[in-house]
Amino acid sequence: MKVNSKDIAASAILILLAVVGLWLNLDHNLGSARRMGPGYMPMLVFWTLLGLAGLVLLAAFFSGPDPLQKWTTQESVNLALAIAVGTAVWWVAPNFGTFFSSTYNGVGLGMLAGFLVLCWSLGWRLIGCICAAMCVFALLLEQGGLMLALIGTILVASLAEPEHRDRPLGVMGITIFLLALCWWVFIKQLDIRVSVWPQF
Amino acid sequence: MDLLGNLAHGFYVALSFQNLLFALIGALIGTAIGVLPGIGPVATISLLLPITFGQPATTAIIMLAGIYYGAQYGGSTTAILLNLPGEISSVVTTLEGYKMARNGRAGAALATSALASFFAGTVATVVVAGSGPLLTSVALSFGPADYFSLMLLGLIISAVLAQGSVLKSISMVVLGVALGLVGTDVQTGQQRFTFGVPELSDGIGFVALAMGMFGIAEIILNLERPEARSVLKTKVGSLFLTREEFRRATPSVLRGTAVGTCLGILPGGGASLSSFGSYMMERKVSKNRHLFGTGAIEGVAGPEAANNAAAQTSFIPLLTLGIPSNAVMALMVGALIIQGIQPGPRMVEAQPDLFWGLICSMWIGNVMLLIINLPMIGMWVKLLQVPYKFLYPAILVFCCIGSYSINNNVFDVYMTVLFAVFGVVCSKLKMEPAPLLIGFVLGPMMEEHLRRAMLLSRGDPMVFVERPISATMLAIASVALIAMLLPSLRKGKEAAMAG
Repeated sequence: MKVNSKDIAASAILILLAVVGLWLNLDHNLGSARRMGPGYMPMLVFWTLLGLAGLVLLAAFFSGPDPLQKWTTQESVNLALAIAVGTAVWWVAPNFGTFFSSTYNGVGLGMLAGFLVLCWSLGWRLIGCICAAMCVFALLLEQGGLMLALIGTILVASLAEPEHRDRPLGVMGITIFLLALCWWVFIKQLDIRVSVWPQF
Repeated sequence: MDLLGNLAHGFYVALSFQNLLFALIGALIGTAIGVLPGIGPVATISLLLPITFGQPATTAIIMLAGIYYGAQYGGSTTAILLNLPGEISSVVTTLEGYKMARNGRAGAALATSALASFFAGTVATVVVAGSGPLLTSVALSFGPADYFSLMLLGLIISAVLAQGSVLKSISMVVLGVALGLVGTDVQTGQQRFTFGVPELSDGIGFVALAMGMFGIAEIILNLERPEARSVLKTKVGSLFLTREEFRRATPSVLRGTAVGTCLGILPGGGASLSSFGSYMMERKVSKNRHLFGTGAIEGVAGPEAANNAAAQTSFIPLLTLGIPSNAVMALMVGALIIQGIQPGPRMVEAQPDLFWGLICSMWIGNVMLLIINLPMIGMWVKLLQVPYKFLYPAILVFCCIGSYSINNNVFDVYMTVLFAVFGVVCSKLKMEPAPLLIGFVLGPMMEEHLRRAMLLSRGDPMVFVERPISATMLAIASVALIAMLLPSLRKGKEAAMAG
């Protein structure tokens, strides 16, 4: 059998999105073809998407074989664990203090926890580290200021590359260089409205 | 006003200190990212979009355009010296260019590529200047139905010409259109698919989507691959061409320019497709085709002329019709909309500074690039020695600060993270992100034109086939679709894409 697993997975994602879209679109008034309501275009788009995804699925049985990368047991467990931890932290985050109950900080903490858990297994480490680094930035920026946020981001991001772990001096060099560069570009030249140093 | 008067005005705009400075900055950044493998123009432009918010629209677009065509110059340097394409558009340059370098003619190959690019850039500038106003006047007679069909054609052709499965690319286009639906409905003010999140009422952030799917996802994918960057062993050597080389390269440059100019205008075309197209052509028609594979100068001159010509003529559909032909042009649409300019046929009239200033600055940018690339080649070779592990933290922090600074809201940073994850999933499943971006940009405009067309026709969908312009567009779109389903043509495309 020449099954294209990648295409099957892709069509599964597309079908899921199309069905969710059609379901959410039930809330919108369709209107008529002459006077289209807010729901008319989404209806067309999501039905088209569903049809195309069906064709992708159909073609997938003849266009392979193109197998997906195999996940080890550790990686599967790790992914499930990360999603569980992330969701749990997101739910309880507002109880940690006013900071985490305001704006998107609770969501951010949940995402950060999830991505950090993801760093456990080697297969997920890159995506976990890079995304966690961005979450660190978002969490630290408004209270901690740009400099602290940048230091946090660069440190977490450097965990992604094994060569950085044995060379703390190199990472320090990059950090200092980037702090200076970002200060010059974003604060000195562009003057974006963001606090540079921690706010207490 | 006549063409000369317009061009004079354009040069007046382009030669202002600020615009010259940013054309130079754009050209420098473009060359740098062109030289560096692993970071392309799409990622860079989405990265730098937030920085351009504070600038006047003309300056912003001049800089972003400089990055795009600058990358075509820079990409060939790596291709010739290291056999590593800095950009997708310079993949074919590695075939003959690296062989020339091995034969000790690296300098000649670099000079050929820069001069061919410059010549093609000059011709393309003239073509843009000449055809822009012409097309605009045609476009002004378009009704909403014609526009809708034109956009549909653009979307379908860009999906057909994208790498990989046509079916999946079209699905990605439609998914992009679906993502573009999020936000407030323009006519009724109703919130669609916003989940009650106030930040989504203006729609999904364009920069967050582009940065996540192209910038951050690319970092993750690049880090996954072990770095294969060999140290430069070849000497650059003399930059001067022999009389014989010059004679051989000239017809190839002319053909490459023609191919690039035409393919650049096509929706879904652009630099990479043109360089492939030109290489295929040179291998068939060149007088020295038997020398291909051993370092034929024709195989450098043609594709290099073609990719630079296409990088510039791909601005034509954007500037005259408001339709992006590739992912970079989709980013330009984003940049224009953020500046409060609706791209479309009225832009030439309403924004003469932008239109003519951009055209003239392209030519000035090409002059700058010639100087940046030829005498200063040593500096760019040095840049190549910066390993990716030092580069990615810089790209990452620029993405972080950039995505935050759009609305001064951390929400955009989290959105970027989500799109990064989605981008990685897409690339693992061989779903192309570029068609998604084009769909995302065109989606809202298509909805508007569809609604207007149907209102005018009193709900009769036949209007799309009754109007001649619209019917032609739809016919071309269907032919393109059916053609790609034919196995023989599909194989041809796969061969072209594989180089």
